[in-house]
Amino acid sequence: MQANTFSQAEFLAAAGIGGLCPAQDDTPAFAALEGEGRAGADETRIVKTCCRACIANCGVLATVRNGRVVKLQGNPEDPMSKGRMCAKGLSGIQALYHPNRNKYPLIRAGERGENKWRRASWDEALEYIAKGLMKVREQYGAEAVACSTGGGGNPEIWSIARFCNIFGTPNWFEPGCAQCYLPRVLAYTMMYGGVDPSIADSNALELYFPDETPIKTLVLWGTAPSYSCPASGGGMVSDLRAKGVKTVVVDPRMTPDAAKSDVWLPIRPGSDVALMLAWIRYILEHKLFDRDFVRKWTNLPYLVDVESKMLLRAEKSQDPDEPDTFVVWDQKTAGPRPLPYPWDDALDPALEGTFTVDGRRCKTGFQLLWERVQAYTLEKAAELCWLDAERIERAIRLFTDNSPSGLAIGVATDQGANSVQAAMAAATIDLLMGNVERPGALLQRFRTSGLFDMPNYPVPIAARMLPEEQLKKRLGANEHKGLHIWFAGHPSSIRDAMITGKPYPVKAWIDRSGNKLGAVADSQSWLPAIENMDLIVHMYTTPTSFSAYADVLLPAEEWLETDMMVETCNKLFARQAATHLWETMDETLFWSRLAKKCAELGHERCRLAFDPEFMGKDLAYWDSMDEFFTHFTSRIGLTWKQFKEKAPFEYLPRDQWRSYYVYRQTDPKTGKPGGFATPSKKLELYLESMITLSRTGKPFSLYELPPASRDYDPLPYYFEPYESPIASTELAKEYPLVLTSGRVPFYHHGTLRNIPWLREIYPAPELWIHPTAAGQCGVADGDWVWVASQRGRTQAIARVTEGINPGTVCMERFWNPEKLNTPTHGWREMNVNMLTKADAPFNDVVGTYTLRGFLVKVTKAEGPPEGVWLKPEDFKPWLPQPTEPTPEVRV
Amino acid sequence: MKHGFVIDLDRCIGCKGCQVACKQENGVALGANRTLVRTVGPMGSYPDVQMYFLPTPCQQCADPPCVQVCPTGACWQNREEGVVLIDREQCIGCRSCGEACPYQANTFNQELRVMDKCDTCIAARAQGELPACVRNCAGGALRFGDLDDPESEVSRLLASVPAEKVHSLRDFGNGPSIRYILRRDKWVDALPQELETAKGGRNG
Repeated sequence: MQANTFSQAEFLAAAGIGGLCPAQDDTPAFAALEGEGRAGADETRIVKTCCRACIANCGVLATVRNGRVVKLQGNPEDPMSKGRMCAKGLSGIQALYHPNRNKYPLIRAGERGENKWRRASWDEALEYIAKGLMKVREQYGAEAVACSTGGGGNPEIWSIARFCNIFGTPNWFEPGCAQCYLPRVLAYTMMYGGVDPSIADSNALELYFPDETPIKTLVLWGTAPSYSCPASGGGMVSDLRAKGVKTVVVDPRMTPDAAKSDVWLPIRPGSDVALMLAWIRYILEHKLFDRDFVRKWTNLPYLVDVESKMLLRAEKSQDPDEPDTFVVWDQKTAGPRPLPYPWDDALDPALEGTFTVDGRRCKTGFQLLWERVQAYTLEKAAELCWLDAERIERAIRLFTDNSPSGLAIGVATDQGANSVQAAMAAATIDLLMGNVERPGALLQRFRTSGLFDMPNYPVPIAARMLPEEQLKKRLGANEHKGLHIWFAGHPSSIRDAMITGKPYPVKAWIDRSGNKLGAVADSQSWLPAIENMDLIVHMYTTPTSFSAYADVLLPAEEWLETDMMVETCNKLFARQAATHLWETMDETLFWSRLAKKCAELGHERCRLAFDPEFMGKDLAYWDSMDEFFTHFTSRIGLTWKQFKEKAPFEYLPRDQWRSYYVYRQTDPKTGKPGGFATPSKKLELYLESMITLSRTGKPFSLYELPPASRDYDPLPYYFEPYESPIASTELAKEYPLVLTSGRVPFYHHGTLRNIPWLREIYPAPELWIHPTAAGQCGVADGDWVWVASQRGRTQAIARVTEGINPGTVCMERFWNPEKLNTPTHGWREMNVNMLTKADAPFNDVVGTYTLRGFLVKVTKAEGPPEGVWLKPEDFKPWLPQPTEPTPEVRV
Repeated sequence: MKHGFVIDLDRCIGCKGCQVACKQENGVALGANRTLVRTVGPMGSYPDVQMYFLPTPCQQCADPPCVQVCPTGACWQNREEGVVLIDREQCIGCRSCGEACPYQANTFNQELRVMDKCDTCIAARAQGELPACVRNCAGGALRFGDLDDPESEVSRLLASVPAEKVHSLRDFGNGPSIRYILRRDKWVDALPQELETAKGGRNG
């Protein structure tokens, strides 16, 4: 810990969150950043690092002159971003040197919400928090502590799950999670056992080598790479289109990718599964699927007991390397036969049919899938999805006839109650076509570096540290057991426990994220929860609306101050600190320091978490990030320091890394093809494991859980959104438009609304509305409007456009950091989450609430909300503040 | 040796990374823009609409009107490459060049009270770099090079496209030099200031 010396001016700057510093001179900002006044040699170096303005990790060359970061540009060595950088990443310097950075730990000095603070040392702040946590634990139990993350630019999510496991609480949560990516991870993991095809999550790596991939048709379903990840995915799709790859875009908005597509399907938000079921029906009806592949490599020929919905088993395997033996209907002998894995040429398994086996009525999985989709004709889908049947058929035909093809499913379908079904249906479409592990397919199991034990992030979560009785208390996760795949609790259930104390009280909340009140659904419904907390801690790079309600504010490092291992295709990169400012701390280190304090206060498991022998593979807590990363890089004989000097480098030549047809490779343990990473080693399009999951929590929960109120469905099904415009209800009359949301290229989730370069481009959220709807609402292009749902209302600027489904409006998330020091704290004015829905019905498997596909009305407003900044010069107070580097904080 | 931009509009995804790259490279003041990405469309009737994006930096005209009207000689054309430049020391901020430009490409720097404009990152190029917008272009739309050299990347790109798919902004005798490639959509003969900035941004 460095000496706690600071000037009166610094203290005052710290003493009001978002306290506005005197306006900086504008243009000379960069000259000033270069530190010309400094004594000593003029030193310029290039730091090869990786961006974290979103989650794409694009390679960056940061120019550092005399300790100050003065320029960012893309690193051409990055095989995904190829030397390109987007608006968010290029704004890194404005984020780093933002005058309103959280600079030191602050402890509340007035009433909560009064926005009075005193500066504290890290040691004092950690002790304050640890004492608060220990008190809550003693009074209510460890489960009364909730930790959360999300809101954009997450450096590392598992460090939070790990701390919770060690502290003894099952309740960490994210506003993303079941609303963002988890449904897709879950479905593709369970059905395929490989990586899902999300472009915004840096998957579908097959596509990043446009000269080599044979793909001919790419379906972008609810994903807009040109918005979410312009430099990597956006550029990649551009490269593919330039090469002649055809694209289908399913999106209510005319996104840039939709504008350049061959077929645009501007779907009604929330109705995607109906359209997917129609795709499946069409593919089955017209026999466009890969019949041979489906018979041999999916479980669709296996017989299912109609009564129990479970697959018939001829034999349960006693050998962990061998799957159970399932039963097919052999057409040669007209009887049931066991099908030994992987296949028996002597048998002729039926795909379709209903049979009687030992007096039990059985159908093939294929038959059940067909029956499930039967109602979804093109005409039915056109009616439900507000599309044209002929256009749907054109899209399907492009996908089936112009192959190899692949379907990239985005976040849109994760944001409503149909979330898991949508991912299951999307996977079904690709897998029926055999679009898996062949050249051109998005679904691949390319080789990995082996440096990561956990998906995407390195921190081991130490799941066994959480006692069984504590795991069983995970809020909302018994009903929605799919949450256990990420060891997470259910946001709405946690909120309800905070408010009602049922099923037990939650009294402390540590949040690291961008604006929680901008990110959670039905934001205003969280206020009573906040009021009930004994302790609220907020850790972020700058103050957000949520900070106003906190007791302790902690300064987190910006990405230009942090280190992280990054695997990008066949290369390893390092995010590495280009500088360090103020007393900011790496967020991954923070949780270790907090555990240490708790250990000092007598928390036994926190103490054990520092014992290397006890922790073993779960890794003892680390005193520095160097120590932490060296644990992993030592696997390739490098210290973290050596790794950073060497990075980026190839860990495998590209042709060895890109391993096709992994399922055909012989497993030395069995002498048979390894198959897919599922229980049956086949692609499980009839997802029997969903039933097991709902009844026991297996395979994701470490301990067997009591059954959910009803079984999860092994096949995708369509659930009409709860607030539906189809039924002519009173609600639909009052709120006639369906709202969707989605990113713009200037922000990641709740981030960067305080960046002058970005706010001058996009100062306020637009509401896209079709001219017909705009006419009905009495709204003209450029008007300020009120957007209202049953839950609340907020403001936006109308953008009247032919580029949106006429029954739909689209509004991007927003909040207003310029209003932090006002009674609203900036989270109500332009926040789409004032409208979204955080209550039931949820997705049954993972508890997804409704962020898209609900009903709103639009009316004209008098003008913008009071006090919001809109003109470029308004943002001057946020221009970079030249800042000298400081040493890393040691606690 | 005539250096210039060739912009492949089929590749422009409207992300505005070029605008921010330019601001970082050249320290362009808030409210001023050396380049703006405009939206052309959506035109037509839902769902049969077309839309494309149009980056509009200075067109580096053969016979630049801004140079002609500048009263102090601050606005001048470099003979080696034909790049139009503004000497801040000489500029008196009268904005004549901005009014003379048919595309309103020159921009006023409120802080320094001088005009500002795209100089194709001539200083960075002297260090061997590409213009910042080209280097960071996410879609690979922006290209820059020697248009007089038939072997340069930009010349070969232009040669690979049928002449009717290559466009330039309306020519008032000033000879705009930027070549825009648009293969599938219908070219709209509109001046930048008549178009909105790219969707997702009203001002910048």
